[in-house]
Amino acid sequence: MRALLYKEMRLAASPLSYFFIAFALMTLIPGYPILCGVFFITLGLFQSYQNGREANDIIYTALLPVAKQDIVKGKYGFALLIELSGFGVMALLTLLRMTVFSGSSIYRGNALMNANPFFLGMALVIFGFFNLIFIGGYFKTGYQFARYFVPYIIVAFVIIGIAEALHYFPGMSPLNAFGFEHILLQLGLLGAGALIFAGMTYLSYRKACANFELLDL
Amino acid sequence: MNTVSVTGLCKEYPEFRLREVSFELEPGKITGFIGRNGAGKSTTIKAMLNLVHKSGGEVEYFGMPLIGNEAAIKRRIGYSTGTIGWYPRKTIREIKNITKNFYPNWDEEAYRKYLSLFDLDESKKPIQLSEGMKVKCNLLLAISHRAEVLILDEPTSGLDPFSRDELLEIFEKLRDEGTTIFFSTHITSDIEKCADNIIYIAGGEIRANCPKAEFEEKFGNSGETLEETFLRLERSFR
Repeated sequence: MRALLYKEMRLAASPLSYFFIAFALMTLIPGYPILCGVFFITLGLFQSYQNGREANDIIYTALLPVAKQDIVKGKYGFALLIELSGFGVMALLTLLRMTVFSGSSIYRGNALMNANPFFLGMALVIFGFFNLIFIGGYFKTGYQFARYFVPYIIVAFVIIGIAEALHYFPGMSPLNAFGFEHILLQLGLLGAGALIFAGMTYLSYRKACANFELLDL
Repeated sequence: MNTVSVTGLCKEYPEFRLREVSFELEPGKITGFIGRNGAGKSTTIKAMLNLVHKSGGEVEYFGMPLIGNEAAIKRRIGYSTGTIGWYPRKTIREIKNITKNFYPNWDEEAYRKYLSLFDLDESKKPIQLSEGMKVKCNLLLAISHRAEVLILDEPTSGLDPFSRDELLEIFEKLRDEGTTIFFSTHITSDIEKCADNIIYIAGGEIRANCPKAEFEEKFGNSGETLEETFLRLERSFR
């Protein structure tokens, strides 16, 4: 697995997958729909799939001494690496906004979503949908990706729209907590997001392995 | 024990069927797999490597079924196909450095030897190579881990006559060192020059599978070249 992950990083990956992790920094932009940073990170991952197809990466990997399922594992492993790196940066910046900048008027007057554990939970949900719709879809053919990226874009922006505005609905204001307000609820929502992410990724991985096994390369 | 055993291999496409392909590869021999374009050579080879999902049949290497032992088997075999460029914008050195991590038996000395023999510059990228050099580059990666069996899909296509001759001599050398070689081709002179055994496929079916001398005796007419024999056989199967 280590060799496969290294191969993904050095041969198949587009440099944009790494550069776009920097979009996690959008977490600090005031008055901006910060969940869009998650979408841009997945856009960077999308570029690696494009790169891989141009380089005949799937067939090359299939000829290496690995089982067909390991190819799928390598691709999911790389996606998780990028997603969790982006998530890590977002988590650190969220912590910064929850502590050092918790009283900052520029963030307090923010009309959109605040950076808090609920935001991080929603980020994981979007990553989960990327894994489910895009990566899972890709392994139905091993070469088509735009077909699965378009539905993912729609789903991602619907989620972003809902999550950014949800706290305006009656009784939902605790979702936009500042600092450590409503911390138990907030952490619960983060945990739920993590579970959804893990569940969607696992389901997608299992389905992708089964589909890929039957594919003719 | 035969090194490779293919039994009743079938693959169905809407417009083509590979029918009950069966053969065995003798260890330390060169087997030429000949047939016209579309006869089923590449489909057979891809099924032998689990690149296509077979409709039926079994493929075994070293007495082990391919399914369930894929990684262990692929460590002991090498595969190369014509002129496909892997990772066209990475240098040969970068590709080699990653590839060798997958092979505990990677032989850096052999890699250097063939790199020099093939006159390849490892700082070049596949996109900068001619078709013939791409073939050599693919072959270089396939033979640098002391593979016991080499499966080569049209390795001589695109090569100039000198490079082809050099390559066939390398096959003979590897065979003499004990490597089993299975290569597909539609160039009869390749078979004539170095194959010990011939497997002939037409219309998705194996039509002949025997040592070269026996093939010539059984199917050839007096004064006929191997090419003429194949052409006559091919016409008769239409």
